[in-house]
Amino acid sequence: MDDKSRQEIVVARKLAQEGSINARSLIRSISDTGSFDEYGALATSDDDSDGNNYSDGLICGIASVNDKSVAIAAYDRGIHNGTQTDRNMRKLAKMIYLAQKNRWPFIIFLEGDGARRDEPLLPPPIINYTRARWDVLEGLTELSGWVPTISIVTGDSHDGHAAIAFLTDLVIATKGSSIGSINATRVTSRSSEELANRGEVDVIADDTVDAIRTCKSLLSLWYESVNEFEEPDEAANISSIVPPNRRRQYDMRKVINAFADKNSTLEVGSRWGSSMVTAFAKLYGRSVGIIANQPMSARAGAIDSAAADKASRFIECCDSYGFPLISFIDNPGYMVGPEAEAEGMARHHARPLAALHQRNVPLYSVQIRKAYGLGPYAMSGFGTSRHVPDLRLAWPSVESAGMSLEGAAYLVKRREIKAASTPQEAREIRDLYAEEMRDASSGLNAGRTFSFDDIILPEETRPRIARHLIRTPRRIPSRKVRPIDPK
Amino acid sequence: MDETPLTRLKSAKTKRFDSARPDAVAKVHDSGHLTARERIANLLDPETAVEFGSIAAIDTEGNWVPEYGGVDFIGQVNNQPVIASSSDYTDKGGGYGGGRLEHLIALSQQHRWPMVLFVDGGGSRARHPRTGLGHTELSGQFGRYTHFDGMAQLSGWVPTIAIVAGPSFAGHASIAGFSDFVIATKGSAIGMGGPPMVEAALGLSLTPNELAGAEMHDKLGGIDLLVDSDAEAIKAAKRYLSYFEDNASGELPERSLSDELPTTAHEEDHIFSIIRSLIDAGSYFELRPSFATTVTTGLARVNGKTIGLLANNSFIRNGEIDESAATKTARFVELCDSYEFPILSILDSVGAVTSWAEGATGVIATEPGLSRSHTRALMAHQHRTVPLISIQIGKAGGFSGHIMCGSPTGHTSPLASFAWPNAEIGSIDGFSATRNMNAFDDVIEPAETRKNIVNLLNLLPSQSERRSLISEKKHSVDTW
Repeated sequence: MDDKSRQEIVVARKLAQEGSINARSLIRSISDTGSFDEYGALATSDDDSDGNNYSDGLICGIASVNDKSVAIAAYDRGIHNGTQTDRNMRKLAKMIYLAQKNRWPFIIFLEGDGARRDEPLLPPPIINYTRARWDVLEGLTELSGWVPTISIVTGDSHDGHAAIAFLTDLVIATKGSSIGSINATRVTSRSSEELANRGEVDVIADDTVDAIRTCKSLLSLWYESVNEFEEPDEAANISSIVPPNRRRQYDMRKVINAFADKNSTLEVGSRWGSSMVTAFAKLYGRSVGIIANQPMSARAGAIDSAAADKASRFIECCDSYGFPLISFIDNPGYMVGPEAEAEGMARHHARPLAALHQRNVPLYSVQIRKAYGLGPYAMSGFGTSRHVPDLRLAWPSVESAGMSLEGAAYLVKRREIKAASTPQEAREIRDLYAEEMRDASSGLNAGRTFSFDDIILPEETRPRIARHLIRTPRRIPSRKVRPIDPK
Repeated sequence: MDETPLTRLKSAKTKRFDSARPDAVAKVHDSGHLTARERIANLLDPETAVEFGSIAAIDTEGNWVPEYGGVDFIGQVNNQPVIASSSDYTDKGGGYGGGRLEHLIALSQQHRWPMVLFVDGGGSRARHPRTGLGHTELSGQFGRYTHFDGMAQLSGWVPTIAIVAGPSFAGHASIAGFSDFVIATKGSAIGMGGPPMVEAALGLSLTPNELAGAEMHDKLGGIDLLVDSDAEAIKAAKRYLSYFEDNASGELPERSLSDELPTTAHEEDHIFSIIRSLIDAGSYFELRPSFATTVTTGLARVNGKTIGLLANNSFIRNGEIDESAATKTARFVELCDSYEFPILSILDSVGAVTSWAEGATGVIATEPGLSRSHTRALMAHQHRTVPLISIQIGKAGGFSGHIMCGSPTGHTSPLASFAWPNAEIGSIDGFSATRNMNAFDDVIEPAETRKNIVNLLNLLPSQSERRSLISEKKHSVDTW
């Protein structure tokens, strides 16, 4: 080897490593020290007139995060606005290939303006044989349901960058970032918060540090890499979360926090479909997914189309990650009324039912208070289904019926109620009959009829489910079963 | 005459027939609908029907008791086996009891017989729960599917057709919601909670149609087809089923494309006239025609062979693809893949857009951009195995190529991608991969397009051959 060629490489590599400061710093912050093995550091774009744009605006390689491997990439806005070229897309495709082949999670930091418009074009391509394969978008659809894919939107991301984000399982976006499109005449961008309100973005992070922390939590769930766990601080108080007065609401997040391992909960989609809470968590060190109705929400836990979509996608995600599902039930059923029907309730309601039916992971359900109509089905599968919950539990406060007991009482006693002389009297007739029905569906009666596998006290919930979970090793299918529906 | 078991049976059966209950029949006819038995008689080929459940039990006095809530049959439609069931609103609200539907689902699952279900009814009725009855008891998981998981299991395996000709709520609406193809008659309704429940819960007093009308669903995508009457609904169901077999011979198109290129879309009929010039005369059966109209989806025949047809309608908003249009496309691709319909995709779109309510006015405006609904279409394409032929007749901007055809370099790349000479090539937008869309297998004249499609389809196995090659379900058809 002659010294000149050796020296050229040393110089070029130094230049490359001094460039793309932001992207490199992001990768450094998330990966274990010294673990990053870069691919294509010397790759430049064809129009690199000054010869210094090494990496072509995309830093990528293999790294370790808490000793576990990931394929990782980051766009750098400093180089041609982080735009996509033939060359850097081929680099990205290589990362996707490695993630697919080795079953490594795929992480990408996104910021940039889509395709590089000033990239010199080949003569207008008519026949496609000579075109390089990129495999980026199709590669991401192949990863879906096979390995976790996480995008972290750190700035303004347009077009091709948005396409990448919306093909990943989990979109984390920092405050102030945006996603949109650029064309010849205008830029259309929406803030990531706005997009989170409609379920396009899963988690809003305060800043990149927060975003990286969230990303690492998800990775530790996938690898189940931390075995020790702590009891949640609130465990002792779990019995006092649900108010004795059944008309008073409570925050379901408190139940989740009192149930899951200390500091293990990672809620996704908190800004949309608010009557459904979806959260990854750990239980005795094992990774689980939690779906839960939220009584303290605008629709009081009633499952509307957004909540149904949110639950359905989360169930598919947990199923492909091999995370057992835990369902906390307290809902008045699917949302009714003209507004809900216009949203397509009759079609969307079926999505969580279908997702639960197709799952392979165990399901543990805990009915906390009410579940009316098809509400229990949406959260725990079907009537006499083949895929029943492995453990179907209820708290003593449980009640169930075809519809709200007050509503049912109103219908059954409609004539008497309409004939009542005062509204007060009408309400009394209704409530008296509702109470009669409520006694019939009490926790004790539910236990006596084996409507549940057991009626337990709230404080027994955590150890009871954990004992079952420990008996059931995690099963990740050895081949991809299905992709995770992006919406 | 002494009563014998035989006479008791005959008399019990006779009571089931419409002729024995003129009042109920008159009530149904007055509302403009057909009775449950009339519907099935109209649907099935003559002399092919076998009834299930005309007698379901014998009571303590030795009387034969019929199944309630509706009628169930197995028979044939155009010589294909079909399971046909109709709820009967005049009989105990049309409720599905006694495992009726479960048995039919089991047969459908085992024999791969399509289901045609008339589902009008109000779901379960409010009643005093016996002890514990309010809770759903789960057991028997080694047995048959129930209707919810059964419908989920059938989806993508056998065609499921729901016909809603009347108010359909709760459990009944759920069956419709799970079905691949939902036909509804004008004036009918499909909703999760019926008027009494809405009155009890929200204090609103609404008719079924005001609450969840078929006309509303027609516009918003909740149903696949809106028709005028029960008879029209039955005709549509038969027509849908007919596409599950190829015809031995095809018909010529209604019109032929001249040597001239169709100019840009300035007429409402633009894309439909191009479609008519490519497919067999009268064979386009559009699905969800009033929903997300910048994309048209439907079944068609080319030289007798069934295809799924997907095309941008650039007359409307330049064929832009919003979230609804993308969802419509994705679900249609899933449907075609499940049932082995090769796809013909005709591209002419400015690209993907997202919809936003404008400030205080609340008017919905669109702007260029992507959403998860758009990537869902790409996901559906990448996971299909059924072949696709694409023709770009105009623009294919802003990710629209991916939505309509899948990734051009994906392993599901089109069997052939053609372009007409007026297709816009070489344009760049922010979807870098879109530039690959400007790459074709050939550029052809409009007049030779049909011939190319015919020749390519001739290389593929027939409908029934392809289906018999698939021994297990590929995937469900998403309910939305």
